[in-house]
Amino acid sequence: MGQKITIEPVTRVEGHGKVTIRLDDAGKVTQSRFHIVEFRGFERFVQGRPYWEIPVLVQRLCGICPVSHHLAGAKAMDVVVGAGPGKLTATAEKMRRLMHYGQILQSHALHFFHLSAPDFLLGMDADPAVRNVIGLIAVDKELATKAILLRKFGQEVILATAGKKIHGTGAVPGGINKNLGPEERDRLLKGTADLNADLAIEWARAGVELFKDYQRQNKDLVDGFAAFPSNHLSLVRKDGALDLYHGVLRAVDAEGRKVLDDVDYQDYLEHIGEETRSWSYMKFPYLRSLGKENGWYRVGPLARLNTCDYIPSPLAQKEFEAYKAYTDGKPNNMSLHTHWARLIELLHAAEVVKELLLDKDLQGTKLVKTGKRAAEGVGLVEAPRGTLFHHYRVNADDQITMANLIVSTTNNNEPMNRAVHWVAVNVLSGKPEITEGMLNRVEVAIRAYDPCLSCATHALGRMPLEVTLEDAAGRILQRKVR
Amino acid sequence: MLVLGIGNPGRRDDGLGAAAAERLRKRRLRGVACDANYQLNIEDALACAERDIVIFIDAARGLRKPFAFRKVKPAGGLPAMSHALGPEAVLAVAAGLYGKRPEAWVLAVRGRRFGVGEGLTEDGGRNLELALAFLTDFLKGLRT
Repeated sequence: MGQKITIEPVTRVEGHGKVTIRLDDAGKVTQSRFHIVEFRGFERFVQGRPYWEIPVLVQRLCGICPVSHHLAGAKAMDVVVGAGPGKLTATAEKMRRLMHYGQILQSHALHFFHLSAPDFLLGMDADPAVRNVIGLIAVDKELATKAILLRKFGQEVILATAGKKIHGTGAVPGGINKNLGPEERDRLLKGTADLNADLAIEWARAGVELFKDYQRQNKDLVDGFAAFPSNHLSLVRKDGALDLYHGVLRAVDAEGRKVLDDVDYQDYLEHIGEETRSWSYMKFPYLRSLGKENGWYRVGPLARLNTCDYIPSPLAQKEFEAYKAYTDGKPNNMSLHTHWARLIELLHAAEVVKELLLDKDLQGTKLVKTGKRAAEGVGLVEAPRGTLFHHYRVNADDQITMANLIVSTTNNNEPMNRAVHWVAVNVLSGKPEITEGMLNRVEVAIRAYDPCLSCATHALGRMPLEVTLEDAAGRILQRKVR
Repeated sequence: MLVLGIGNPGRRDDGLGAAAAERLRKRRLRGVACDANYQLNIEDALACAERDIVIFIDAARGLRKPFAFRKVKPAGGLPAMSHALGPEAVLAVAAGLYGKRPEAWVLAVRGRRFGVGEGLTEDGGRNLELALAFLTDFLKGLRT
């Protein structure tokens, strides 16, 4: 049994990201592209399946954010069974919210503390072998421990609401299949000596402070790195509050002018187009009213804090006010400030989870509603990485006949390309050798958007990031794979 | 002792790890806890730190035989951008954070198809049976 074997990462690991940078004869960047191999196999796979299977089936897309797909699929099927927005029972709506905010909590905690914090705490020039969670443990063991416990707390919220770790069944068309028992509630509220709902809030606050301290000490880097103006899109609650589970579509431009407002997402096709480009399998969504050239937008934490008017939880609102004051109330277009926005959302999620756990509606017994059957439904949620669209058509035999998914990573396609281009022009241009430090910066720019390439590819894949430097004739000068 | 199955059952043979953990769980082996998830992540380090022995079961590609079994140790190598961790990295987190170094092995089961779909392939299912028979003997040996 002593032989060496190789276990390749398989489907749970995200897709394949590729960055190509082309230089002219003088070594200046003439073109940069971030692309992901995308297949649309999933949309075909669900055709012919009964609609009620969708909330479970869509979790096959990806092991990174199955809850987001579960809920977006369920919301679309709510419309199909005549129990669309506003028609669910209070227990069903709040159970789903609890599941969703538990997911936001664990995903944001993972992203910042374990994927991004090493860039900040160890430095962008640090050896990739140590610029990771292992390196983080060496420099800040307490932070790494808190991150693990926050993740675990979020996962336990998901388990209590979705019922299972793999292929959760909590959300069903028209509602939910379980409530939260008093024992489950108390277990999450009181937690253990290591972590409970109050500690989760405290640690999330500490995370916000950590970033703010770093930003104060590294203002030029954090404010300037991959900063560029864009439109921003997200759901907001009808009254303009941040709402990650449900709302209406709002988009603002780089100056804060509303481009879309109070749009029912059932009509998203009237407002959002998807452009194809010859060099990329992944589509480029845009706001139709602004056209393909100018209508691209960001989604995710940065966009959400640009579109919403306020945050409906006290501690996060206080942080939101300081965050907005930094840009004089104007939209924030600084890519690395996405981490600041993400941490404010983490704090909000922790506050919402506690508030929901104290809500007696979670112990209600009215779980499912149905109404007039419809032939089509659209479900949207604000997934950790941004707006997630699920759209289905169902025939009279209850079979899915059409599926269209626009995932957060696809929505952020153009912004990620812009961020990579910023690094190419500002860091690599004129220096025809890729150093580790330069490669790290390409990665940092992409990572701010937290891409989930598995979702974007809709197919199994691997997740090396491959950066290729080409000369004017397309000959490869250098290639690095992570 | 902890058995951790890894994989997405909605991706055909990618579900081999999860299927193995589920079958072992049903056997209710004394002193053996079973769990499964789509992928390994940092919080799994906490579960590993609480055990003396950990067996990771995962689907594999490119194996010449139906399954392979090897000991794993904490290591520092991590993917640069991934949301997921490998067994060695999870063990490294357990060692770094909690000072625990459980004895650990990876049972790699050869899969054939990994596209979106239901159920294991015939080949994957056969390999799983062989791998589980081996693992059952191995666990029996450890307990005695």
